[in-house]
Amino acid sequence: MNEEKEVEEQPKPIVLEKLEEHHADALLAQDETRGTVVVVVRKEQVYAVLEYLKTDSELAYTFLVDVTAVDNSRMESELMQFDYARFMVVYQLYSYQGQCRLRVKVPVHENDLSIPSVTALWKGANWLERETYDMFGINFEGHPDLRRILMPDDFEGHPLQKDYPLRGRGERESFNFDKQNA
Amino acid sequence: MGLDFVGQGVGETDGNIITTTIDKVVNWGRKNSLWPMPFGTACCAIEMMATLASKFDLSRFGSEAIRFSPRQSDLLIVSGRISIKMMPVLKRIYDQMPDPKWVISMGACASCGGVFDTYTLIQGVDQFIPVDVYIPGCPPRPEDLIDAVLQVQQKITSGASPKGVETVV
Repeated sequence: MNEEKEVEEQPKPIVLEKLEEHHADALLAQDETRGTVVVVVRKEQVYAVLEYLKTDSELAYTFLVDVTAVDNSRMESELMQFDYARFMVVYQLYSYQGQCRLRVKVPVHENDLSIPSVTALWKGANWLERETYDMFGINFEGHPDLRRILMPDDFEGHPLQKDYPLRGRGERESFNFDKQNA
Repeated sequence: MGLDFVGQGVGETDGNIITTTIDKVVNWGRKNSLWPMPFGTACCAIEMMATLASKFDLSRFGSEAIRFSPRQSDLLIVSGRISIKMMPVLKRIYDQMPDPKWVISMGACASCGGVFDTYTLIQGVDQFIPVDVYIPGCPPRPEDLIDAVLQVQQKITSGASPKGVETVV
């Protein structure tokens, strides 16, 4: 008896309903994992979607928890899903009003690493996007100050890209002592 | 009180005069009043704090006067991971310490990079600054740090120059 109850279909999350209604053309995929709704959004419309998610009075995803990225270049199955887009930029949102989380993923192709910056929506995105730029080389267009935030300014490469060697390219021995000392 | 420790060949006259060499007296003073400069960047620093706190009490060995200015200290305790961005800072702090100065490399990360064999981590601070005593462990227990301080004290007593310093005047 109980088992049957569990199989009962959950009502569709309201955020999916509303996104399908207003931004159906932007949605590439949707999923739900461990209580978090996941939507995959086209890069061209990501700013509009995030703005909608933040400003809609019913959804009100006002808190940008994190911006990060995933390099799927060694995950063939993940790669194939979205036309061999190597990177997936991930936005974690939280709605205080609805007390629920939402994950927005955006496939980004290697030959065009740019994506619109959301610093105009959330000021807190500033450092998060700088970190994603530093680690993955994602270029956030419209960011007011897109500099490295973790690695030294003269560092070359983006260390969380999968083709970056774990032990580095000799930076451990040849880093610029004097410039950083100044 | 302990002064007989200063020199062999102590000659006493009426119990009031002690003869020794100036080096030995100076070293005796240095050894028992090491002022550490803590450079804590990771979990080893927590153990270092425990060493200084009442339970382990580093002041029993004369090293409780932690100075957060390198210009006032003569023992650098490197406790934690040092990244390529932090190494110039550490080097500058070492350079600012007046001679004679000693360095303890505390824990696996400071001594050899530990488990962090990655692009950003210095694989042993001794590549850039001279180290007198290494402490193994991840992190080492407070007793290990106390032991290292005692080893530095032994080194001072023996009259050996600190690593990286030609002669002690």
